Amino acid sequence: MHPLLCVKDHLHMQSSLLLPYRYKFIGAAIFLLSLALGILVRFWEFQFNFLTVVSSQKTGGMFDDKINFTDEIALTGIILGLLFLAFARERKEDEFISRTRLESWQWAVLTNYILLLIATWAIHGFAFIDVMMYNMLTIPILFIIRFHYVMYKTTSFTEN
Amino acid sequence: MKNTIRVERAIKNITQAELAEKIQVSRQTINAIESNKYVPSTVLALKMAKLFEKKVEDVFILEETD
Repeated sequence: MHPLLCVKDHLHMQSSLLLPYRYKFIGAAIFLLSLALGILVRFWEFQFNFLTVVSSQKTGGMFDDKINFTDEIALTGIILGLLFLAFARERKEDEFISRTRLESWQWAVLTNYILLLIATWAIHGFAFIDVMMYNMLTIPILFIIRFHYVMYKTTSFTEN
Repeated sequence: MKNTIRVERAIKNITQAELAEKIQVSRQTINAIESNKYVPSTVLALKMAKLFEKKVEDVFILEETD
């Protein structure tokens, strides 16, 4: 074995939290399907009737004792889809890509809280519930956008 | 730090993609190093120098500001 090949193990260790490359496609599929379901639930009050469960406890007025899990399924799918997309390995995951990943998470967290601070002061009352809902998902979304933007930008330099 | 990778590639007559393939990194990494956006690890610097049959100091050069 070539002595320099041991670098591969080193790189592998660095990125052991990552999923195989194919999860990029699995993640995209789960995300898009769940997003479509989420939009149906959110704006058209869509429900799968078979996902309704009647609670054994009386919850006393504020909530119905019937719970429908369509929205839980949608949110679970959206979160898992985004995490798969964010944590899928690149085809050739190496040290520069690892660094870009860390930088992009840092950027995503910071940008997320800057947006949240702006929204805190700009949006009031019940509308803020929407802000909180979307804010649950902004960190991975910002990460995915920024990470792929940097990767794209670094590929498209002029080759010579 | 600057580097002479672009020149060394021209001497060897290989593209960024071919260099990336030879030292098992992504094309983005070669690109980022060549354009001084990324300083490679010692391991990667040694691999590149070895491939170009040069000393590391001949491929990667410290600058006044470093």
